[in-house]
Amino acid sequence: MAERGGERGGERGGFGRGGERGGFGRGFGRGGRGDRGGRRGGRRGPRQEEEKWVPVTKLGRLVKEGRINKIEEIYLHSLPVKEHQIVETLVPGLKDEVMKITPVQKQTRAGQRTRFKAFVVVGDGDGHVGLGVKCAKEVATAIRGAIILAKLSVVPVRRGYWGNKIGQPHTVPCKVTGKCGSVTVRMVPAPRGSGIVAARVPKKVLQFAGIEDVFTSSRGSTKTLGNFVKATFDCLMKTYGFLTPEFWTQTKFSMTPFQQFTDLLGKPTKGLVLEAPTETVEA
Amino acid sequence: MAEEVHLGLPGPWAADYREKADHYTTKIGGVPDWPTVDMGIKPETLQCSLCGTKLCLVAQVHAPVAKLNIEERIIYVLVCSTPQCGPKPQSWKVLRVQKCRNVMQTEGGGDELGQSNGPPSTSVPEEQNDKNKIPEIDDDDFDLDALAEALEQAATLASNSKKKNKSKHANAPVKCPVLKEQACDPSIPVLPCFYIYYDKELFGGKGTVGSSSSELVLDKEIMDTANDEEEKWEGEKYEYDKAIGADRTFLKFKKRLDAYPQQCFRYSYGGKPLMATTKLQDPGTCRLCGSPRHYELQLMSPLSYFLHEAGDGSSNYAPSSWTWLTVIIYTCSKNCCLSSCGGNPQSCCWGVAEEEILIQEDEVR
Repeated sequence: MAERGGERGGERGGFGRGGERGGFGRGFGRGGRGDRGGRRGGRRGPRQEEEKWVPVTKLGRLVKEGRINKIEEIYLHSLPVKEHQIVETLVPGLKDEVMKITPVQKQTRAGQRTRFKAFVVVGDGDGHVGLGVKCAKEVATAIRGAIILAKLSVVPVRRGYWGNKIGQPHTVPCKVTGKCGSVTVRMVPAPRGSGIVAARVPKKVLQFAGIEDVFTSSRGSTKTLGNFVKATFDCLMKTYGFLTPEFWTQTKFSMTPFQQFTDLLGKPTKGLVLEAPTETVEA
Repeated sequence: MAEEVHLGLPGPWAADYREKADHYTTKIGGVPDWPTVDMGIKPETLQCSLCGTKLCLVAQVHAPVAKLNIEERIIYVLVCSTPQCGPKPQSWKVLRVQKCRNVMQTEGGGDELGQSNGPPSTSVPEEQNDKNKIPEIDDDDFDLDALAEALEQAATLASNSKKKNKSKHANAPVKCPVLKEQACDPSIPVLPCFYIYYDKELFGGKGTVGSSSSELVLDKEIMDTANDEEEKWEGEKYEYDKAIGADRTFLKFKKRLDAYPQQCFRYSYGGKPLMATTKLQDPGTCRLCGSPRHYELQLMSPLSYFLHEAGDGSSNYAPSSWTWLTVIIYTCSKNCCLSSCGGNPQSCCWGVAEEEILIQEDEVR
């Protein structure tokens, strides 16, 4: 397992080498420092697993059998996702990137104990994004753990229009604000072509989410970039929590996948099917 | 400080789910191999307390206790096969069968062991005496050479089955080379059967991964560049793992499962169970002697996955409706034995005791 950490380091060095300071074998283009132009680093998709996934939870079993095809079915019923392999299976285009690895220290009698904290953002660039934070004694462990936690926290992002509803949604549907610690981040819909108007760090998260244009405004101690990133993520989580007129109609409830696929209930009922307002094109 | 934990990993499937093995075999599913034909078990013990149907065997674990010198000891985990009773904890039953200590001679443990039973005994529990693998030898005077030979044989058989079944166990049933007898009672419901081999859990806990040289360079670079960046990520402190759908206990549970993703059960006599959820009821005290119970083994979710995969998809197949994450089994800490044998030293006497089971469910809401 140690060599894979080294490998990954080598990969990133290969991408981000140009324009780095020094240029002598800086293996790790850390956090995209000095890399403008949106380098979407990270490995492409799931690597070959040495061991097959044996699902632990009932939901995992259903996903493995292929009874659940889209992650939206899980979001619809707010089912907790406890296995990262579920997300890997259902969202195949997930890319990950390490935003930052920072040492955190603790004073002990024998000196300082250093651990590494890794921030990883995953996303498919089309409405799904996740953020993972992990502390560990070694860098590779922290990165691996953070990727898993990021996949576990993948959420859907709602996109909408600024003005005319032509083409695909490109910006946030309304003004939303997210908060973490003292940092609040406010996202405001922007016209097409504005691009993401944000600081470098939250811009990455927004790119992974698939938002093309947005104005942002932040407040608080944004120097604490950990909180800044988490506030942006919190803001993105809230896009689907905002009640807009499209959701004013009565919800038609449908069966959860557990009820649907249990054989105890015998024949599946035909009546209840939910027509959720699809978010790609708003009515 | 860490206790040794032995993992039960899946071995070969049985050629026929109803085939008999001996009571030294550790297996999942199939028919229970009682040590003697007449165990004196009341029929109600083998029936579901909720609906009365006959219980089927989930796991049979040969679990001798070296410290107390009990070698003939087996734990049977039974469950009701109707899916309606599945989610309720009263449909499970755990029986601990052991030979009473006041017996002078061993009888060889039952009639069906007379033949050579090398192949099915692929269980290699770590703490036991090795002479348990050769049941037909009397304990009076046995040949050390024959013992060594038999040990070697059993070890190679065990390692062969390991090699055959490294992965993709559920998709590749391997035919057992020796044809065995059928069980006599066809009315007992039966789950798909496969054998288990043991492995010790190697878990470094914190930081198993050794640093390679490239990582050491990495670490140094991070420390260097941390000081001269335009953006400083300030004020970061240690943070515990957090996920939206899972709490810390479950994340730790999943981490240990990911180290050995095929583990069917964990065995650690008197150790600490691996919790999947934080709530745990009190196991209580032994029904027979009143001494406190302690943890012995727990069944893990890959087991129910393998059984589910082996099922034929029929609607009344119990493992398909199981949603538990782990089933924790507590046994009497004193290993008491029901002294119902009348004190006759010549007869072989087996004590049966019911033990406690605690189920940790996968909570969706």
